Amino acid sequence: MTSVPTRVPVTARTTPGGTASRRASAARRSAWSALAFLLPAIFLFGYFAWWPIGRSVVLAFQQTNLVDAPEWVGWQNFQELFADPLLPQAVLNTLWFAALSLVIGLPLPLAVAVLTSELRRGGALARTLAYLPVVIPPVVSVLLWKTFFNPGEEGVVNAVLDLVGLGPYPWLQSPDLAMPSLVIVATWSGSGTAILVYLAALTGVSTELYDAAELDGASVWRRVWHVTLPQLRGVILVLLLLQIIGALQVFTEPYVMTDGGPANATVTVLLMIYRYAFLFGDYGVATALSVLLAVALVVVSAAYLRLTRAWSTS
Amino acid sequence: MLRSRHRPLAAATAVLAVAATLAACSDKDASTDKVTITVMGQPAATNKAALALFQQQVAEFEAANPTIDVVGSDVPWDAKTFAARLAGGNAPAVIRVPLTEPPSLIERKQVADITAEASELASFAELNPRVMDFLVRDKVVYGLPEKSYAFGLVYNRELFTKAGLDPDHPPTTWDEVRTAAKQISEKTGKTGFGEISTNNSGGWHLTGYTYTNGGTMIKQGADGKYVASFNDEPTRKVLQWWKQVRWQDDSLGDNMLGKQEDLLAQFTAGNVGMWVSAPPDLYPNYVAAGGDPAKYGAAAMPQGGANATLAGATVLMVSAKASAAQRAAAVKWIEFRALRPNYDPDVAAKYAKASAADGLPVGVPVLPIFSQERYQKVQTAISAYVNVPVKNFASYVDSLNRFTYVAEPAVSSQEIYAALDPLVQKVLTDKNADINALLSDAEKRVNTILTQAQR
Repeated sequence: MTSVPTRVPVTARTTPGGTASRRASAARRSAWSALAFLLPAIFLFGYFAWWPIGRSVVLAFQQTNLVDAPEWVGWQNFQELFADPLLPQAVLNTLWFAALSLVIGLPLPLAVAVLTSELRRGGALARTLAYLPVVIPPVVSVLLWKTFFNPGEEGVVNAVLDLVGLGPYPWLQSPDLAMPSLVIVATWSGSGTAILVYLAALTGVSTELYDAAELDGASVWRRVWHVTLPQLRGVILVLLLLQIIGALQVFTEPYVMTDGGPANATVTVLLMIYRYAFLFGDYGVATALSVLLAVALVVVSAAYLRLTRAWSTS
Repeated sequence: MLRSRHRPLAAATAVLAVAATLAACSDKDASTDKVTITVMGQPAATNKAALALFQQQVAEFEAANPTIDVVGSDVPWDAKTFAARLAGGNAPAVIRVPLTEPPSLIERKQVADITAEASELASFAELNPRVMDFLVRDKVVYGLPEKSYAFGLVYNRELFTKAGLDPDHPPTTWDEVRTAAKQISEKTGKTGFGEISTNNSGGWHLTGYTYTNGGTMIKQGADGKYVASFNDEPTRKVLQWWKQVRWQDDSLGDNMLGKQEDLLAQFTAGNVGMWVSAPPDLYPNYVAAGGDPAKYGAAAMPQGGANATLAGATVLMVSAKASAAQRAAAVKWIEFRALRPNYDPDVAAKYAKASAADGLPVGVPVLPIFSQERYQKVQTAISAYVNVPVKNFASYVDSLNRFTYVAEPAVSSQEIYAALDPLVQKVLTDKNADINALLSDAEKRVNTILTQAQR
């Protein structure tokens, strides 16, 4: 059964002087040329993207000091990792960060984008202001917010809250408030990109639908609910997935602002990986945890895409 | 036809092969006669006078050793970046690290055996054995000391005066420190006692304070293996003291999540009354950051009855990746830059004169890396150039002769400190923190770390 389709082209190719043969030959030449042009890109991508991933998987089963040849240790790195009592807390903290950033970080850029698109005047200024935080280097914005969250009365956030008779709050110094504070910073510095994507998607929404809705007497809220959101469904789903993946890899905010504290309240999985590798010099365990995180992200992404496929195409 | 079809492929392969060859060759010396070593310890560009002195020393060294090129690195040791630099092939030949690092660097074989080169040095036999104990394993020498320190109390003399305290009689016990801290906070509105708790500094301080109460962090069992030993009264007393100062007295200020650099900045700005650190190590940075020497006070480490203090050092080691020629050059440089000014009175006087002329601190009282006699000879030689208000260090200097020096944990010190940071942070950020439960949790965690390290 399977030999039939392969035999046909072979016969056609061996026909001397046949049109099919010339076409196949030209196609082959074209394929080789394309491959030759693609080769540098394939090499660079393979060397800088796939090779490190492959090495990481291997390193997860080795111990190395980066000087001598690595030693094969089997599942020992994973055993060591699972014996670490900090791991469950780091996983829970990471999930807590992801949950908070979805609650705060998902609706906010969508709302800003919809409101901005409704503006009759000043739309360009609003878009610029919304995107501005993305331009600031992450470490700079995080350090800036660290001073804003100063726990004393002189801290900017506390000073503002003081105007309405609230605070002062310990923010980063409190095990309960530290994580929500980090989410606020991450949302502030990252939502500009999502806003731009939503705004771009909004330009694709047919104005006829709005006109029809207006003729039917629909309010602004009903227009958004029944026209805008269904039209943005695909974009929302993609950004949601990117946000989940990004949130599960959170690192800069806890590393720079709290170093995982207070009392491990903001230790995340990536911070643990970093500590294992660069504080304890245990690259094997660090890569074992990296591999587990990567597998978890693939599973989450696949499950998410499967669960939302029906909704995104309906 | 076949050949022409493969020509682009062959060309691309050739380009990549040439690129790979060039990349592989780029880290070799242009001349086989010359050896280049990268050395840590170059002062930052902002510290112009210290940098000028360093560059002058490099020029002198290169003139005396024409086959050696020295490239200075002003990147300081950071446990979090060193491994990445090593992985990237960027580790310097001469590594400058705190005394907590040698055990793990030796264990991981990341530093070279320099026994042959070091034992030829004239000053080698006189090095302080207390420091060398950490740098020698199984009679193999892995490093040489640059400077040594002991914990003490650093304080702001001006804030003391404003708070009605006598800056010439700083507190000597933890109870006195607590009273003084409360007084400073109440009378000046500044932080009475500064504390740090991130980047392993919480565990580092908990260790140092525990020593003053007669405790230890780890102890060696009958089988020669180390286990945690801090779940007892000396450490509990430290945590209770912190709790009282933080939650009863409100003398610790607002920021509980800082590291040494953060607190130094606050101290230099005059916002902190007292804190614990290595006074001689801190002083040059304090002055370089614009601190007023007259306000700087260095006192004995406050005590809880043990008359003991944590002692450490900055040491120089050679990368295991260094070639034999680089290793020899590295040890020569270490002798030239770090050992001679502490050993040879003439050299000490020469650099002291140059440093004083450039406004650099001269005469900061330190814990000697050679014998006390050698230290006295050097001190006499530089006495004409001393510009540090040495009398402000009187209480600290006095303690150096009275206290027992206790070394940092011999195994996994940084990992232990990292495991203790959250414990310290919990006590400082949660007024309902259960000290006994926290100590039990930390003990389990440290024992896990020790078990893994001693497998």
